[in-house]
Amino acid sequence: MVLRRLLTRLAAGAPVPVLPVAGLGMRDALRELRIRPELRPVDVPAAASVLVAAGSLPEEFGDPLALLHDGMPHPRAVVWWNPGNSAGPLLRRFADPTVVDGSADELVSAVVRVRRELYSGHRPSSEPVLAETGRAPWEGVGPYGQGGSGMTGGVPYGRPLAEVAPDRDGLRLDVVPLTVGPFFPQFPPGLRLEATFSGDVVVDCLPLVNPFVDIAHHALPVRPGLDVFFRALFEPVPIAELELARARDHLVWLADALSAHGLPALGVRALRLTHELEGTAAVPGVRRLSRAIEWSQVLRWSTRGVGRFDAAGRTSLGGCGPVARAAGLPDDARMEDATYRALGFELIVQDGADAAARWRQRLAEVVQSLALAKRAGAQRSEVTGQVESPRGLLTAGSAPASRLLPLLPGLLEGLEWGDAVATIVSLDIDLEEAGLAERLASAQAGAT
Amino acid sequence: MRPAAPLELAVPLVGIVVVIGVYVVAVLDQAISELVGGGTLRWRRVAFDPLRSAAHLVTQQRRTTERPDTPGWILAPALLSALAALALAMVPLGPTTVAADPETGFVVFSAAIAFVMIAVYLHGWSPNSLFALHGAYRFGAQALSLQIPFLLAMLATTLPAESLSIVDIVQAQESLWNVVRQPLGLPLYLVVGVGASFWGPMNLPDAADLAGGTGVEDSGVARLLWKSARSAMLVAVAAMGATGFLGGWWGPWLPGAVWVILKTLVLLVVLIAAGHLFARVRVEAFVVVAWALLIPLALLNIFVSGAVLL
Repeated sequence: MVLRRLLTRLAAGAPVPVLPVAGLGMRDALRELRIRPELRPVDVPAAASVLVAAGSLPEEFGDPLALLHDGMPHPRAVVWWNPGNSAGPLLRRFADPTVVDGSADELVSAVVRVRRELYSGHRPSSEPVLAETGRAPWEGVGPYGQGGSGMTGGVPYGRPLAEVAPDRDGLRLDVVPLTVGPFFPQFPPGLRLEATFSGDVVVDCLPLVNPFVDIAHHALPVRPGLDVFFRALFEPVPIAELELARARDHLVWLADALSAHGLPALGVRALRLTHELEGTAAVPGVRRLSRAIEWSQVLRWSTRGVGRFDAAGRTSLGGCGPVARAAGLPDDARMEDATYRALGFELIVQDGADAAARWRQRLAEVVQSLALAKRAGAQRSEVTGQVESPRGLLTAGSAPASRLLPLLPGLLEGLEWGDAVATIVSLDIDLEEAGLAERLASAQAGAT
Repeated sequence: MRPAAPLELAVPLVGIVVVIGVYVVAVLDQAISELVGGGTLRWRRVAFDPLRSAAHLVTQQRRTTERPDTPGWILAPALLSALAALALAMVPLGPTTVAADPETGFVVFSAAIAFVMIAVYLHGWSPNSLFALHGAYRFGAQALSLQIPFLLAMLATTLPAESLSIVDIVQAQESLWNVVRQPLGLPLYLVVGVGASFWGPMNLPDAADLAGGTGVEDSGVARLLWKSARSAMLVAVAAMGATGFLGGWWGPWLPGAVWVILKTLVLLVVLIAAGHLFARVRVEAFVVVAWALLIPLALLNIFVSGAVLL
């Protein structure tokens, strides 16, 4: 009893392992939690105590979210940060969620308080949302539910069994169909991939439609940092603001990408740099981070040749920003803006067309954007109707993610899973941006 | 078997060393992570957060999956911890201060490292989970590729000693440490040692791209035990590196045991820092490097060491 009390007391002082789930407008705010010493964001439900959902999520994510919740060990709780009006149906699925409408500090306080209440017994552990069994029917054809083709065609409780199919070496091996996402930790929020695996190799894959296009919401919540690019579609905006937002966005990507490659501490350093972009230490800080990433050459070795676009693939990269420029294409909407040209903007391009080139490209563009922001002063962009977002050409109705998603099957098929993840990470697919662009076009069409 | 500590003393002693070693790894890992991440080093937090996190895991539910191989799931961390303890038992703190000093200590240590593959595979197999199994297969490819260079790098240290006993290997370094005598040996040993303890750049079975791999379904005590077992294996690799290449207990002024501990700490810092500074390698690329570069280098190391001794 004494030991248990001591353990409980000690446990209540540990950083809270939280499982973050980003909804509309909250991606970057959730990333910031990695810097907070009180919390320890984790990748999988088994390691978490508190599910932190943030912003609005599409209703179709209800079951995957419930699965995450039910996969957390007791004692557990749900905290929903800035849910907005449309999160109601999802929120109601949980027995006693804590809702926080406020700042990151308020969220952190709430999470710490919730965990303390869990340990002191003042709050019951969150009950399961889904039934224990039968979340999907057995779809076999035999009298005992077995088999669809041969002995292995069934889908027992939603988990498909292996089937046999030819592999890339001409052998017939087991393949497993699987949907990865929408909360796979290394994928961009919302990305779902229907893939077939043969061992470690992706045999085929198909990205599902962008869930953020049809999300019901009364207002368009735009992620801080992304809003300046959407404003630039309608009015001239300060170039310094655009370029600082671009540098910040690339650093947030860098933080995620470093974590995906096993360097979470350097990822935290990249996140810390996003707070220092307007100071004089920004460029040296970014250069030091670049050196810390590149000095060993291991990352370059791990990404060289991975997710490479062939000559035919490169022709489809128009408007894909850093991905296109990393493939050697002179593709940048800023070239059409006279103010940028007057500022001495020069295109940076690489020649690799692979994940390594895309890393180099973004690291170089962070420094370039900081220099442009410094030179720009109060000057504003001239071109409206289109803007070069951190991921490529953004217009009302079209964003880089909607151009990249159709390229995924050709790029990923035949890759080992680790390389497939590294490829997706390197592309910086932002479904939220694409969803907003499409909804903007719909709103404009409705208005006319 | 040559005289060593009596069993009733050796077993608890090794157990204590394992527990302390695991905690030291957790503290060093947190401190280095803070430094690399550009944060402020708060010693109180660095020193006590591992203890608090361990208490958190102990009080958490140990959840299970559908139709797991429960005995295997329980056995895997126990096996890995036992292998780490066995490897540590071979490390002498002084000419007569050693938990076990069999004449074939080198073989026992190598066997413990070889069996790591079984523990990791069991850990990935038993939860009946896709990414966990995926991690298990990955480690199969990794372990098969690194065990030969690991053995060859260690084997070279037995040449000057003309013995397979770890105590004799240290005795033979009285005048010249193996790190000087065999300059290729320690770097090779550290590279493959990181692989054997699947740490940092070689953490392929429990990698982020597999959402935690073999540990994806671990919670509560199971997660704590697996993390502790991995750390214990890292301690064993560092301690044997200090013994086999850095002269073990040899050193001026301080007692021999202190030298072993200090040298082990230095290697632990190097290995843990590598985990925060080197990106994870690709399985395919590592396998190619292991067979095409590490094995020839390890053979060269042996041939040169042998030629020098002749």
